[in-house]
Amino acid sequence: MIHFISKRLKHSLVLLFMASLVCFTLVVSAPGNVAVLIAELRGAVATPGYVEQVEEEIGLNKPLLMRYVDWLGDAVRGDFGISYRTGQDVSADLANRMLVTGTLIAGSAVIATLISLALGFLGAFWPYRLPDRVSRGLALLGASTPTFFVGALMIYAFSVTFQLLPSFGFDGPKSWILPWLTIAVLPAAVLSRVVRVGLEEAMVSPFVLTAKSKGLGRTAILFREALPNITPIFINALGTQVGLMTATAIIVEPLFAWQGVGDYFLAGVRFRDFMVVQACLLIFLTFFIVVNLIVDLAVLLTDPRIRRQWS
Amino acid sequence: MNMLNPILARLNKMPRAALITIGLFFALGTFAPWLAPQDPSTQNLLEAGLGPSAAHWLGTDHLGRDTFSRLIIAANTSLVSVGSVLGAAMTIGILLGTIAGYHRGWVDDLLMRVVDVGLSVPSLIISLAVIGIVGPGYWTMVLALALAWWPMSGRISRAVAVSIMSKPHIEALRVLGASPWRIYFGHLLPGTIGSVMVYATADAGTAALAVATLSFLGLGIQPPTPEWGQMLVDALPYLESDPRQVLLPGLALTAAVIGFNTLGESIALNRIPKPLTRRMLAIRRAEVASWSKENSDA
Repeated sequence: MIHFISKRLKHSLVLLFMASLVCFTLVVSAPGNVAVLIAELRGAVATPGYVEQVEEEIGLNKPLLMRYVDWLGDAVRGDFGISYRTGQDVSADLANRMLVTGTLIAGSAVIATLISLALGFLGAFWPYRLPDRVSRGLALLGASTPTFFVGALMIYAFSVTFQLLPSFGFDGPKSWILPWLTIAVLPAAVLSRVVRVGLEEAMVSPFVLTAKSKGLGRTAILFREALPNITPIFINALGTQVGLMTATAIIVEPLFAWQGVGDYFLAGVRFRDFMVVQACLLIFLTFFIVVNLIVDLAVLLTDPRIRRQWS
Repeated sequence: MNMLNPILARLNKMPRAALITIGLFFALGTFAPWLAPQDPSTQNLLEAGLGPSAAHWLGTDHLGRDTFSRLIIAANTSLVSVGSVLGAAMTIGILLGTIAGYHRGWVDDLLMRVVDVGLSVPSLIISLAVIGIVGPGYWTMVLALALAWWPMSGRISRAVAVSIMSKPHIEALRVLGASPWRIYFGHLLPGTIGSVMVYATADAGTAALAVATLSFLGLGIQPPTPEWGQMLVDALPYLESDPRQVLLPGLALTAAVIGFNTLGESIALNRIPKPLTRRMLAIRRAEVASWSKENSDA
């Protein structure tokens, strides 16, 4: 088990190193002279003298390897440099925004888990009957509706028509509900199919036959025998969906006027603020790697078969 | 007609509703310039925000443009961009995938590692990063989405190429002394393209969604050209007074995506070989037995 964990940690470190390389090369390979762009973003006329001064300032005239080492060293210590556009510290901006995005993703992960388990169980309890067909239809609808349209519908239903919940802002749990629900729709739809199919497969396995012959009822079998069996699959799929939530956060945060990482990334992309794009990208990639690591460890804890394999 | 029959037979097995939706999408997209009753970008502020009428079937938006015409033209925009995105992505994916499948060894390992990384990062983040570096614009959008999309076709074409390369006729060609170029261009590439195209149609829904999402964020198709995602974000400030302008493009997009997703699901299901029933096994056994009899006679 310790062997597995150490191997997995090493794997994650290699991935992190590759992620940092990708982020660095992407910005270095940007077309055009970055120094001229920065000079213009600051509102100055890009005279050759000023451009040289800018190059000196951000260290653009150093060799590539040196720049990479400098940048990586700073990034590891949590210093992502200064935004080209606003001149503010990127790390200071990000610290607050990570809390906002964290709230968004954590809340919708919980909601998606609850909805998908409910829908999946509904389908597994009455397979191929009306509840199953309804849950299947909802899953198709949820997986196909564009997130921004879901958000617009939520605002129209809950803020405009019934005036129950605020349509924008980040103050208090009441304003969190709509963004949470908006993001949760897609993962809930996908995960409900995972639960439904997983339960169906578990219900035909030999251990369920044993449970039946012991005289256990359907409910008891579903919850006590089948549910633990699908936990590892579910955790795996949930991890993928939580990773994908960073992408939907980019759509949902501007829609509800939340100052999160996704919103910051989008602003960086819009104004070609390379330092912001680079920092956000590194944070996203790190997030995927950490989530995957947690998923693998959680699967190890919940699946005795894999644990035995590695001990 | 004989050539059409197998295609028609296969289409018959697909869900009817999904086929009709996709057919409608393709027809509207192709013939949009002739179908749209009015010019989609003519503004008439005197007729802004009207409800449905004989002159404007689905009303007008906040600038007095005819919504029905804009919805139809948007299908064309969507179809053209999805076509170019998938075309570019498949070109990259098939080329790299077949090279990996032909070469194997370290080329294969390296390319598939890149594909793994590309598949694990959400496509929206990849394409936004590319747009952030290169700067917004129509062709940047196509390039960005193609870069986010090629790993999928790359993985499929690599798998297909590997299976083609292990077939006996390739070995026979090698023995005959065929050059690598002849094997690659004459046999490997044409065989791969066909299978990958089938999967690409299943991907078209997600690609249309990605185009709409980028346009919604203001980084895809730019305002005068109508596009569903961009029409939706345009009408969002007037959600309270005129919700129809938000609902209609959203519903059109959702319908198209549902159609493609259902079709993709049925394509994926048709690919999985079904277990043989006992009766079919008996027939097959009898067939195999008759072969051996023929051989002994000869």
